[in-house]
Amino acid sequence: MIREKLLSGKFTITAEISPPKGTDISGMMKEAGMIKDAVDAVCVTDNQRAVMRMSPIAACSALSQEGFDTIMHLTCRDRNRLALQSELLGAAGLGIKNVLVMSGDYPTKGDHPGAKPVYDLDSVQLLGMISRLNNGIDLSGNRLEGKTDLFAGAVSNTELTEVALMKLEKKINSGARFIITQAVFDAGKFSEFIDQVHDAGWKKIKIIAGIIPLRSRKTADFLNSNIAGVKVPDDMIRRFASSSDPGALGIEMAADLIRELRGICGGVHIMPIGTHENTRKILEMAGL
Amino acid sequence: MIISRQKEFRDILKTIEQQNIFIIGCGKCAAKQHLGGETEVLEMKRKLGKSGKNVVGCTVLSSACNIASWDDVLTQNPDIKKAEALLVMSCGGGVSIISSVAEKAVYPALDTESLGGVCRDTTVLEQCGMCGECDIWIFGGICPIGQCSKNMLNGPCGGAVEGKCEVDERKCVWDEIHTKLKSLGRLELLKEIHHPKDHSKKRRRK
Ligand code: SF4
Repeated sequence: MIREKLLSGKFTITAEISPPKGTDISGMMKEAGMIKDAVDAVCVTDNQRAVMRMSPIAACSALSQEGFDTIMHLTCRDRNRLALQSELLGAAGLGIKNVLVMSGDYPTKGDHPGAKPVYDLDSVQLLGMISRLNNGIDLSGNRLEGKTDLFAGAVSNTELTEVALMKLEKKINSGARFIITQAVFDAGKFSEFIDQVHDAGWKKIKIIAGIIPLRSRKTADFLNSNIAGVKVPDDMIRRFASSSDPGALGIEMAADLIRELRGICGGVHIMPIGTHENTRKILEMAGL
Repeated sequence: MIISRQKEFRDILKTIEQQNIFIIGCGKCAAKQHLGGETEVLEMKRKLGKSGKNVVGCTVLSSACNIASWDDVLTQNPDIKKAEALLVMSCGGGVSIISSVAEKAVYPALDTESLGGVCRDTTVLEQCGMCGECDIWIFGGICPIGQCSKNMLNGPCGGAVEGKCEVDERKCVWDEIHTKLKSLGRLELLKEIHHPKDHSKKRRRK
């Protein structure tokens, strides 16, 4: 189980999976099948990039029936405090043990731009609320019949302003046990972030580095101009420019990066562009 | 000051079914923003006339949301009686006050956006989120409910790119809050965990 493995200090591998846009889960299952036994848990997104999809609770439930350990994403964008809590109780009831909380991309980024943005709680408050549910009380102080036992994590960029670092501290103090970072491309820069976390004295927090395996120069350019907190270094882009097989180069670079990160952090989190067809290969090449 | 935005003229035209129209401007916020003062009212009159409507008259009230007596307004603007509909160039507050007394069809010419202000001749938007429990001092006098699109109370979301907000063209307000509190020597306020808002404070009152 991911919680035990991560807490024991072993290098942990998670991978992102999106629920279907529709009711047919066969594509998602096939996708998950490609990484079965190669990863410790699948991380199931919640209307990612504000694009409406099947709820992560349903998708996690289907995946856990197939033997996957899951981490359910939960954003603050679509649900108020009542809905968040009932979703968390429901998740716990279905045997979902891990959640990853985040603010969530703004509705105008997605396919229902006119949707009412909720943001009743922010991620710090949501983490605090999960801690309360784990203690058997809800946000209003009512006692629960049966408490949750959720292992909660949060997300973070790796280049933080002073105020963003203060928020990260609040996330940790509110109950985040692990952090999954935005995609990392430069192990040297990333270790500065790890130093920042250590210097702040947050010893127990487990950091999982986000990995987006590049496929071409185009994907690198796309990430640089569209995704907040992501910076593909120029030398990686140059290597693509002079490569005759960008697909293979992307796999090799991702594997090299993971190997470098092994000594630095608690694990990696693979977020492919498109499918997980190369994930197993990347992990094998990284020696995992 | 209430911040408003001019509706598209074709949308205004589409909503008004009636032929004979009286236009009411507002001398306060709408006039300051050049959305409901004399110039804008006369321009609206010209455009409606050109589009085949009959504008029976127009006026700019000193404040559309603060009317002592509708009878006084009628005495000063007898042409209102000839109108089947009123077009009000003010915020929603003014439109609803006039709707409540006019006993005629009343249409808005503006969309009301936020509670802002004017500082050194610059109009500033979204200064207050009208949450019903003001604790703006905690944030150095910069309201995160009004100014952060996601209403974050404990620091920025991860979406800002080089200081620019994920949502719109503005800067991430959390950098401003941080700079302000730092200059005030009150950074400890940012370290505190702020609890969710009590939205019951926004309930309707008599
Ligand atoms: S970028 Fe800053 S201002 Fe914009 S939504 Fe995020 S926290 Fe709020």
